[in-house]
Amino acid sequence: MQHGSREVRGGMAASALHDDHGPQQIQNPGLHDDFFDQMLSGLPSAWPDLGNPKSPWDASAAQKLFRIDLAGKPPDESQPEAATEGLRYASYDEATMLASRLSQSQGSGGSSPTGEAMMLQLNNHHILPAVGLSRTAVGGGVGESGLLPLPLTLGSCGAADPRIIVETPRDEMDPPFESPDHNGGEELYNGLGGSIRAAQPGTGQHFHHPQNYGGAAAPAGVGQGPAASASSGGGTPPQKQKVRARRGQATDPHSIAERLRRERIAERMKALQELVPNGNKTDKASMLDEIIDYVKFLQLQVKVLSMSRLGGAAAVAPLVADVSTEGPGGRAGANGAAAGGNNDSLRATEHRVAKMMEEDMGSAMQYLQGKGLCLMPISLASAISSAACRPSAGGLVPAPPAPPTSAAAAAAESPAASSSASALTVQSAAADATAPKR
Amino acid sequence: MESKSFTTGNRDNPNTDLHGSKNMMASHFLRALFRIQQTSTSSSSFAGRSRRIRRAAYASMAYSAGARRAWSRALLRKLRSRARLRFPRRLSRTARPQRRDMDQAQVLRKLVPGGPSMDYCKLLEETADYIRCLTTQVRLMQTVMDSISSYAHHPMIP
Repeated sequence: MQHGSREVRGGMAASALHDDHGPQQIQNPGLHDDFFDQMLSGLPSAWPDLGNPKSPWDASAAQKLFRIDLAGKPPDESQPEAATEGLRYASYDEATMLASRLSQSQGSGGSSPTGEAMMLQLNNHHILPAVGLSRTAVGGGVGESGLLPLPLTLGSCGAADPRIIVETPRDEMDPPFESPDHNGGEELYNGLGGSIRAAQPGTGQHFHHPQNYGGAAAPAGVGQGPAASASSGGGTPPQKQKVRARRGQATDPHSIAERLRRERIAERMKALQELVPNGNKTDKASMLDEIIDYVKFLQLQVKVLSMSRLGGAAAVAPLVADVSTEGPGGRAGANGAAAGGNNDSLRATEHRVAKMMEEDMGSAMQYLQGKGLCLMPISLASAISSAACRPSAGGLVPAPPAPPTSAAAAAAESPAASSSASALTVQSAAADATAPKR
Repeated sequence: MESKSFTTGNRDNPNTDLHGSKNMMASHFLRALFRIQQTSTSSSSFAGRSRRIRRAAYASMAYSAGARRAWSRALLRKLRSRARLRFPRRLSRTARPQRRDMDQAQVLRKLVPGGPSMDYCKLLEETADYIRCLTTQVRLMQTVMDSISSYAHHPMIP
């Protein structure tokens, strides 16, 4: 709260420093410059109590924000226009309140040095530079006690106080306090045509940011404010209460952590939704049900497959060639045989294995295993490598004519085999010929 | 069986991180199958062999995922302790239909290895990876099964 006001005051102070106006009298809302000056001149007072260390404003930030040279040059001429635009949307009520505050603070007689100090203390939650900032600062900053009942959300102070955002298009000002979100602020400002968010560290200050406010108090509104100063005095406390936290925008670390956690959970759920069939349920509970059912289903499938495989288990003589797949980065097992070894030795091995296969399949297998190789039907090799890439409903895709591995080629070259698969069926033929259908 | 029908493999899973591990899974599983075949005799019980195969399936899953994942670590621990692989595939769920599972997270925790010790967010993450790995393993098993059957039905022509 105080920070916001401080910012505003900072802005105002800056101007005030250089505009030596008397007691503010906002007579001409239309004349933005005048109004601005007047507002600023009213500044005084509350500055001293704005010594809140909580939000020390960088001088540089202030400079940047307000485009005010610390030496004390007046703000750009462009600013007033911009500010005007921004302020246009402010509600008159708020403007009134602000104006009244201004008049209140006026009494305490702000001093230039104080103002300057305030400016130096501009919150590093960057208030939108230039655009109407000074204006809005003027509008908003008046509160003595530091609370600006700001319907004017000072432009885009990014992170400073996301709570205060008036209908922020983005729900999360996620790093609200630590990392001011300039862009967000800018967007917001542009999008809302000038809605300004007061940068406020989340000290529990709640700003009322009804949508209808839409943004900063219009200069006109503010102009009328001072006139209605009387009402504003009593209105301060209620104004404080009007500003409350925006949806999902937390003021304390707990809510923020909570929000982050919720977002992470939402991400995970989305990923799960893609994995699970029928994952288009919007209801979280039913989605969880689907997930649970799917996991159970998969586990059941593993169980069933392990049972049905038993008949054919005897036929699993071929194994994946596994030369170098011990480590986690194992390459395609089928290619493992070819990998590493030069072709000559491989061919010799293949011949040897082929011969052994004629005599005794088992010993041939063991020989291969000793070498770290295995025989594998070509179709199996290609099917395995393609199974996950091209999922099919039935599981096995008819083996595409992929280039056979050397290991499989060994089988192909074996005199016993007319096709690579057939060679291995020598073994399987010995086993139960009828494998249970899946 | 489930009243719903799922078809594994009808979804193109982004096997981004599974591609390398898929081969490892296949090789590990096939080698395990071979070992089982060699060491099992005609007198081995059907149930015993099926259990071994099932265990080999989960082992290859866990090895393919390595130590990267909490669920694979828990699974490896369970396997190494030689405890019987038990998974709560309670068909009694249909017999005891809870109105909406009081605590679905709890049910999920029982399903996923290592579940009980995770917070909800991590549980979801691990579940996703577990599902990916499971589908890969199931597809692998189906593939092996199919190739075996096809060979059995296509005996060599001398």
